Amino acid sequence: MRRLPLTGIAWTDRRVERLLGALACTVLALIAAMVVFVFSKAWPSFAHNGLAWFGGGGNVDRQLAAIFDSPANPNDYVYTLHAWPMLYATALLSGVAVLCGLVFALLCAVFIVEFAPERMRRVLEPAVRLLAAVPSVVYGLIGVLVLVPLVGNHVISAGMKRSVAYVVQLDGTSLLVGAAVLTVMVTPIMVAIVVDALRAVPRGWTEGAAALGVNRWRAMWTISVRAARPAIVAAAVLATARALGEAIMLAMVSGSVGFAPNPLDGVLFLFEPARPLAATIVDNAEGLSVVPFGQTIYAFAAVLLVSSLFLSLGGWAAKRPLKRYGLAAR
Amino acid sequence: MPRLTTRLALGAAAALALGAPAAAAAKTTITMSGSTSVAPLAAKLAKAYIKTHRGVGFKLLQGGSDVGISDVAHDRVTIGNSSRDPKPTDPPGLVFNKIARDAVCLITNDANPLGNLSTAQVQGIFSGAVRDWSGVPGTGGTIDLVGRTAASGTYDAFNKIFMGANRLSTTMAQKASNGLVQQTVKSDPNGIGYVSLAFTRGVHTVAYNGVSCNLRNAKSGQYGGVRNFFMVTRGAPTGATKKWIRWVQKNATAQQIVATDWVPLA
Repeated sequence: MRRLPLTGIAWTDRRVERLLGALACTVLALIAAMVVFVFSKAWPSFAHNGLAWFGGGGNVDRQLAAIFDSPANPNDYVYTLHAWPMLYATALLSGVAVLCGLVFALLCAVFIVEFAPERMRRVLEPAVRLLAAVPSVVYGLIGVLVLVPLVGNHVISAGMKRSVAYVVQLDGTSLLVGAAVLTVMVTPIMVAIVVDALRAVPRGWTEGAAALGVNRWRAMWTISVRAARPAIVAAAVLATARALGEAIMLAMVSGSVGFAPNPLDGVLFLFEPARPLAATIVDNAEGLSVVPFGQTIYAFAAVLLVSSLFLSLGGWAAKRPLKRYGLAAR
Repeated sequence: MPRLTTRLALGAAAALALGAPAAAAAKTTITMSGSTSVAPLAAKLAKAYIKTHRGVGFKLLQGGSDVGISDVAHDRVTIGNSSRDPKPTDPPGLVFNKIARDAVCLITNDANPLGNLSTAQVQGIFSGAVRDWSGVPGTGGTIDLVGRTAASGTYDAFNKIFMGANRLSTTMAQKASNGLVQQTVKSDPNGIGYVSLAFTRGVHTVAYNGVSCNLRNAKSGQYGGVRNFFMVTRGAPTGATKKWIRWVQKNATAQQIVATDWVPLA
């Protein structure tokens, strides 16, 4: 039996079981402690606003400034907040990025697995995995130094800016740039997962299709992609989780005002600024020392935690009916 | 288990033996956190201080004036840097040591070199009453306002000194630091914003009420938009912290460094 050096303890099964069990329980306890901590700090903000916290009304930035300027007396703390513009921006940016990214990722993955020539595949696959590992701040820098001035000075015309000048300023930081950079950020992760899933489809299934006279594209689409649907859902869930938590990059490129873009504005909808929850936390983290302001920021964090939970549940629920015909998903 | 206890005892003794000399040679570290406007000044001063004073090390963090004040009140850092005056809502027991004064400049893009802005014009632009550059004689289309978040000392200074009783427009983009405001105005021809004097490279500074925003006018008191820089300590400073703060306030080298981009006290 191997003995631990220096102390001479033996690696018995029971000892290892208890040690690993203790480590796993520590991790669970840490997560539970973090959730309880965030909710306990965030509770006053939800208690004072009720369900109106999630609704709209008033200007979010003015409300945050009022909370920040609360008097020192705890009885006079200001908590009024209607966070709809930020919830809307979070859902919009993450949703658009993941949907566009999923389409690209699926087509790219099919190409890599089935149609790419050997030499191209040997370059493409490591490149995609490398892109998935790039820190998001790099995308943010490229966005703020190149894309935002490009959109603000050359794509948005002066007439467009004048038409909404009394409501919002269109200076380049916009939904378009935010969603574009977010899409570029989440697509490589999805490509990597879907490629692995497509490769796991048993060869016999696609060969059987070929024997029946089906061409490669049709075999890939109707058999491999269908079989890999649980993995595609898993990839989308993972990408959405990453998109929800993206703070610094979106703070730089998607806008610095708590504004809810209006879809009825037509094309201008894409050029209007939006600031998701994580970016709001990052931009306002300086004010944590003011008690009601800190509690409001914890409330944003609590909403993000709950949305991650619902995302996981949603992913699990989406995969259940797919398990009958497909491969086991990760 | 005698073998186990002997080994553990040996290990503990070895750790102590290694730790003791390290503890004996420890130097005092002064940690500072707070205002992003004070940070460049604090960094330059610290670099000069360690050249002539041994046994002191510095750690400089940022986060904004309010973070600095809160950190020093909770004893997380030795000194909190603040670019705003004390507020009644600040924690009790803090001493605000003034170390320098700083000018807040109005900046526009180089493509829109405004000569001068009066108080009424600044208030009209930043409150949203004037939305187009044609309303203020300037080049460009709609005005893009760039400012700071509510928790910033520079935001506080701008509100008090320039805006008076007027409220800032809701369309203003709220950036997290001086550097981001400078960078945004640099890349947007329609932009106008406000930054600390040290952050005006690459953009055009606008004169305020006929007085241009430079060091000379800030020192002579002619420029209207000047605010105080403080190093905040919990109670009166003592020991190494006291030596450092007195050096910053009185030493000739320190005053020379302050005089490069900021207004010395003397």
